[in-house]
Amino acid sequence: MVTPKDASGPASLLISLQLSDSAFPSGFYAMSHGLEGFHQQGLVDGDTIGDLLEDILVRTAGPGDATALARTHGAAVRQDWDHVAELDRLLFASKLNSELRRSSTRSGRQLIDIVSEAYAGTHGGDDIATWAEWVRSRRTPGCQAIATGVCYAATGVAVEQAVVSDLFAFAISFAGAALRLRLTDHRSTQKLLRRVQPVIEEVAADAVARPEADIGGFTPVGDIMSAGHERAPARLFTS
Amino acid sequence: MNDNVLRVGIGGPVGTGKTALTEALVPLFLAAGRTPGVITNDIYTQEDALHVRRELAGIISPECVIGVETGACPHTAVRDDPTMNLAAGEEMLERFPQIDTLIYESGGDNLTLTFSPALADVFVFVLDTSNGQKMPRKGGPGITESDILVINKVDIAQYVRTDLEVMERDAHAVREGRPVILTNALEGMGVQKLCDTIIARWEAQRGRNVA
Repeated sequence: MVTPKDASGPASLLISLQLSDSAFPSGFYAMSHGLEGFHQQGLVDGDTIGDLLEDILVRTAGPGDATALARTHGAAVRQDWDHVAELDRLLFASKLNSELRRSSTRSGRQLIDIVSEAYAGTHGGDDIATWAEWVRSRRTPGCQAIATGVCYAATGVAVEQAVVSDLFAFAISFAGAALRLRLTDHRSTQKLLRRVQPVIEEVAADAVARPEADIGGFTPVGDIMSAGHERAPARLFTS
Repeated sequence: MNDNVLRVGIGGPVGTGKTALTEALVPLFLAAGRTPGVITNDIYTQEDALHVRRELAGIISPECVIGVETGACPHTAVRDDPTMNLAAGEEMLERFPQIDTLIYESGGDNLTLTFSPALADVFVFVLDTSNGQKMPRKGGPGITESDILVINKVDIAQYVRTDLEVMERDAHAVREGRPVILTNALEGMGVQKLCDTIIARWEAQRGRNVA
């Protein structure tokens, strides 16, 4: 078995590709990341879907999950698990609606469990197993971005690449939800993903630089949409 | 997941009676000394979860029935990425540690639906007579490879021009000895046999795993 001491070049890329793959069983397919709430209120259509995704990346995903992932990466590299847990609680508290907290922790708990098994015996496997045990014992909420940050840090994937990878996984998941809500088709989905790539670069750079104290975005309309969504009589997605 | 928890996956096309079977099975599991919880996978609403809670009021606590959204892909939620269902099951067991039987009811889907072995120990695929007598011959992994194939709504076969004998014969022919059970879930016909067969299949699996 190939067990690189650190992940660089193709090894790092392969880890990113695996963890950000839309086929990775993170539960992302069941989330719309706020999109279905906007759709239910008639506030987004095929012409504005790109603007909404950019807004969510810049105002919510970047200051929230992406920043928490970046700060977790540093703490996990130092194996400072108490600090990782503090970041987990901070991110959990920043998610105002219960559907957002529930989606994130259901995903994170399963994700860390799967990766701890898949990466057991390979480089980083012990650190991933350590965090998986924290999550399993419910000493910490287990948010998805925190679990993902631990996985990337443990396997030696650089923080910038880790944040970009997770933001792109987010964008793919959002675009998949847009497709199923008939806001895009298979062609416009790919245009959407190409359009947001430079945005992801900027958002990732900001997240890597943003301090821990600034974790969490300010998106009152998004929070209102989410609050309505979690009480909607009909919905396809968990968020 | 605790090995002592029996996890039953019930899948099949839309409208075949998965919810009715779930509701009929719960009292029988209770009578067998088991403590069931139910996780429904509605496509678009909480309709199934609400229906199960209403029908089983006074039999199991409403908190022991959870609806899970499936992101428009019921087969993904029980096969390719059962993350959300596994998480919901774990949460229910944390909250109600006395539960020893989890029934996962899939959203209505097509003939390609199967349950991940990581999610369900016993996979029950449900057809009904109104699907047409040709349905077992059409095959698909649910029909041919599920642990138990149920043909529900036997009482209406005559009204939908289905020859039940042909349907049952063909089902046995494509399943190479795996069980086929005829039910009328609303009247309870065949449901006790289904419950017994589920438990027997699970106990046989556990016996093999121990050995």
